[in-house]
Amino acid sequence: MLTRERKRTQVVTFLGLATAGALLLSACSGSSPAGGSTGAANKEFTYLSFAENTSIKDTFTSLSTGSCSTAEADAKLKVDNTPQAAYDQSIQLKAGQMDLPSIFASGNSPQIAKDIESSGALVDIGAELSDMGLEDAIIPAAKSTIEALYDGKVYVLPTEFNVEGIWYNKQLFAANGIEVPATWDDLVAAADTLSAAGVQPFSADGQDGWPLTRLVGNYIYRSLGPDALAKVADGSAKLTDSEYVEAAQKVADLGAKGYFGPSVNSIDYMTAVNQFLSGDAAMFYMGSWILGNFNDPEANKIGNDNIGFMPFPAVEGGAGSADQLAANVGVPLAMSKSRYDDGAKQWLECIAKNFGAQSLKDQGVITGFKVDGDVGEVPALTQSVQDQIATTTQTVLWFEALFTPKASTTSQTNASLLVTGGVSPEQFMETVQADLDAG
Amino acid sequence: MTHVLGDRRAIFMLLAPALTVYSLIILVPVIWSFGYTLFEGNAIIGFDYVGLQNFQLLFTDAHVREALSFTVRFAIVLTIVQVLLGYGLALLYVFVLKKASNLVRTLAFFPVVLPTVAVGLLFQQLFESAPRTGPVNGLLNVFGIESVDWFGSSTTAFWVLILMESWRSMGFYAVLLYAGLVDIPDDLLEAARLDGASGLRLVRSVVLPLSLPVLLSAVIFSINGTLKIFDSVLALTNGGPGSTTTPLTLYMFQTSFSYGQYGYGSSIALLLTVLCLVVTLFIFRSARRDLTKA
Amino acid sequence: MSLATTPTTRPLAASSASAPRRLVPRRRARSIGTGILTAVLLIVVVGPLVWLVLGSLKSQSEFLDNAAFALPENWLNFENYTRAITEGNLGTYARNSVLAVIPSLFLTIALGVAAGFALEVMVWKGRGTVLLMFLAGIMIPGQMILLPLFTIYFRAGLTGSLWPLIITYTAIGLPLTVFMMATYFRSVPREVFEAATLDGASILRMFFVVAVPLVRNAIFTVALVQFFFIWNDLLIALTFVNSDELRTIQVGLLSFQGQFGQVEYGPTMAAICLNVFGTLLVYLFLNQRMMTGLTAGSVKG
Repeated sequence: MLTRERKRTQVVTFLGLATAGALLLSACSGSSPAGGSTGAANKEFTYLSFAENTSIKDTFTSLSTGSCSTAEADAKLKVDNTPQAAYDQSIQLKAGQMDLPSIFASGNSPQIAKDIESSGALVDIGAELSDMGLEDAIIPAAKSTIEALYDGKVYVLPTEFNVEGIWYNKQLFAANGIEVPATWDDLVAAADTLSAAGVQPFSADGQDGWPLTRLVGNYIYRSLGPDALAKVADGSAKLTDSEYVEAAQKVADLGAKGYFGPSVNSIDYMTAVNQFLSGDAAMFYMGSWILGNFNDPEANKIGNDNIGFMPFPAVEGGAGSADQLAANVGVPLAMSKSRYDDGAKQWLECIAKNFGAQSLKDQGVITGFKVDGDVGEVPALTQSVQDQIATTTQTVLWFEALFTPKASTTSQTNASLLVTGGVSPEQFMETVQADLDAG
Repeated sequence: MTHVLGDRRAIFMLLAPALTVYSLIILVPVIWSFGYTLFEGNAIIGFDYVGLQNFQLLFTDAHVREALSFTVRFAIVLTIVQVLLGYGLALLYVFVLKKASNLVRTLAFFPVVLPTVAVGLLFQQLFESAPRTGPVNGLLNVFGIESVDWFGSSTTAFWVLILMESWRSMGFYAVLLYAGLVDIPDDLLEAARLDGASGLRLVRSVVLPLSLPVLLSAVIFSINGTLKIFDSVLALTNGGPGSTTTPLTLYMFQTSFSYGQYGYGSSIALLLTVLCLVVTLFIFRSARRDLTKA
Repeated sequence: MSLATTPTTRPLAASSASAPRRLVPRRRARSIGTGILTAVLLIVVVGPLVWLVLGSLKSQSEFLDNAAFALPENWLNFENYTRAITEGNLGTYARNSVLAVIPSLFLTIALGVAAGFALEVMVWKGRGTVLLMFLAGIMIPGQMILLPLFTIYFRAGLTGSLWPLIITYTAIGLPLTVFMMATYFRSVPREVFEAATLDGASILRMFFVVAVPLVRNAIFTVALVQFFFIWNDLLIALTFVNSDELRTIQVGLLSFQGQFGQVEYGPTMAAICLNVFGTLLVYLFLNQRMMTGLTAGSVKG
């Protein structure tokens, strides 16, 4: 009985002490200078990032010790991050409390930045840049992408500029006597040949869905022209119109023939990349950010020299053309008005001037900024993509770019069902259109 | 003596701290959020009063119908499976393994320890069908059955989810129920044994009635947990294929935060809360009837 | 009672070796059946642990190219662990988790046991209603209190510390704790408490000296359950913490995911392994306590 009593006392004492200690410690960490909109805000340039994106953060950090050290002296860079899954929620909560950081990733869908902008909380970056005499800091292709995304306004910074298209395995093409397809029909013929030879034509990340709907979107742009999806967004056309359904039908046909491989809905991003880089699939639709993986010799078993890039092919008789590359600006950054002071202004100027070169040099990431100065050695494949961007005058967006967040989620979650035959092309377009109509 | 057990000052001192924290952190925000059901908008663009429009939408929204149906089916099946498995394990611990149950109990609890991210990844690999053949399909192939694309159809994805959650929670329910079973006085069991009761009959006539209160709380707890399933679905199927395994919680979260419709999201949450309430009251009612019968 | 001195971590084999003395032949067949059942259970439960450890030693290409249960090509490949600790910042995250979990666990249990006692053992008007009110807490989807709570914490100046986590965890744990404790108190015969009051003990004294020891097993059980709920929480930690210095371990597990859906499996698995083995130690400790309580307190055997 005595021992029992003592043991219990020990446990209670232990727990009590542990709690007291932990409370003390957490009280201490509570006083750390992470707090809200106090006077310290003026001396800091706060950046909120996707936890998953480290390249922007690293570029900012190198800028703060290099080209932007004067801005840094005025407003110290402070980086925080939130995982992508909780990011939109986090931005909403902060915006609701008027506690947005100086500069921040604009969220998982363009709608978030549009909402914040409509509440008047964002810096008009385009106007600020022209005041500084830096109108041409953002390259034309990136500017047109931003304007297409954000109703003709420029209130975000293109810290990435990606073009999208089909990467192909040169060796597999040569072995099967395939020329780089120039039209959709050529592409389907090439896939037929590959499949007959026992090679999986495409690898695709069906789990995330967007690599599949990208094909639908591109087809629409090629067959109906660059303004086809803007028409859907403004209501003058419907996805259920037969010429739009045709695009879903074409992609579903590829799926029905098994050209994306078995169980495409369970293939995740890394598996899809790996299938292509192991030579198990001949083609891979992806954006130019993938170059980072291609340049990693351990992941890339087919070799960089063996990879070619082709724009999404034209559709015969279509209103669009293959040189209208699909493009995006990654996760563009927005700046909050309430924290736009002299320090933030200096930072903006410095970012506009130096971000592009720094990012390319350190991270190998192509941005939408004009690149000045020495950027060091760039891998050949990266260089060729950059050349392609330089000659591009008109870009198109992706399928969901102008949709409401709800319609884009529906589109992406149903994509794998479209290619496995779980829903018909008509049903697919109907479901997405229904969510668009619901607003 | 009821005077002492009714000492108001003591009741206050024991209850007040918990009640205060609970009211401030749970009840106030809940009522606050329910207030939003009459509004449209979100924290960024502000809120506009729309009356009962959100509730009208609730009844016409095809996504709600699909999510509600999935949630109810999932909760019923999973509650039955996990409580039964847990009870079976608890009986195993108490009456078969007895003192030796420590190791088994420790191990069976292990899945509870695993983070959801890990469990999701594990089951994705176990049931993988391409590009590699996962262990489960491998086993099917041995028996000459072709590989099944488990996450490709809503039915199979549903059952893999059930399996994963049962696996994850059986140890938990076993421990929960074990604590109730272990308190059954031995002389009662001995008496029943002397009367010739053994095995299943012993369980049915003595153990089950005595452990009914704990069993009841386990069922209530389980149904309320399963109706609100969230992160396991997110980790394993992400609501797919399509949106066929999307529960109300996930749809509510997406609506509130990704789609920027906080008011409508709150209405979905209200629907879910009412559902939990109705189911719990129903269980209470039917259990009380059983208890009085026994 | 003599069994109270038996080491509680006695392995299964030893116990079945001493058991047969008491078995009649009919029971022997049954004990074989039990053995098989136990073995199956162990495989089902331990298999994944093996998978985890194997995975944590594999490189990215091994993970993608080889079968799920294939052995790692290099058993001494601890690079994933190094990366999990350095790049994944696991040390800081683990500290934050401990700092958030222990106070909230202690508070939940302390407040919950007291409230459970007041609601089940004490006699007063309206206790049924209050118990139901707590029970209603189990029914509320946690996602819906986030926005108001964020506003409250922000206005109170608590953002940027671990307090929002501690407070929220405490409150969220209360419904289950109160409900379970009330259930366990109900299973204690009322005569015990009534007898104690006849001895003239004050209620508060009786609560600490009679009631709490009586339900000690239950307290450990509930504490154990709450610990893992709080420890494995992702939603609340994601919402209320957005600085790296305050991030908890579950959020840290997302460190090795990329913006477009890339996952670095090896370091993720290594981080999970470290997390799991850490919590397993806690579990073994609490479990040991539970067993000590059970063998000493019960009259079975």
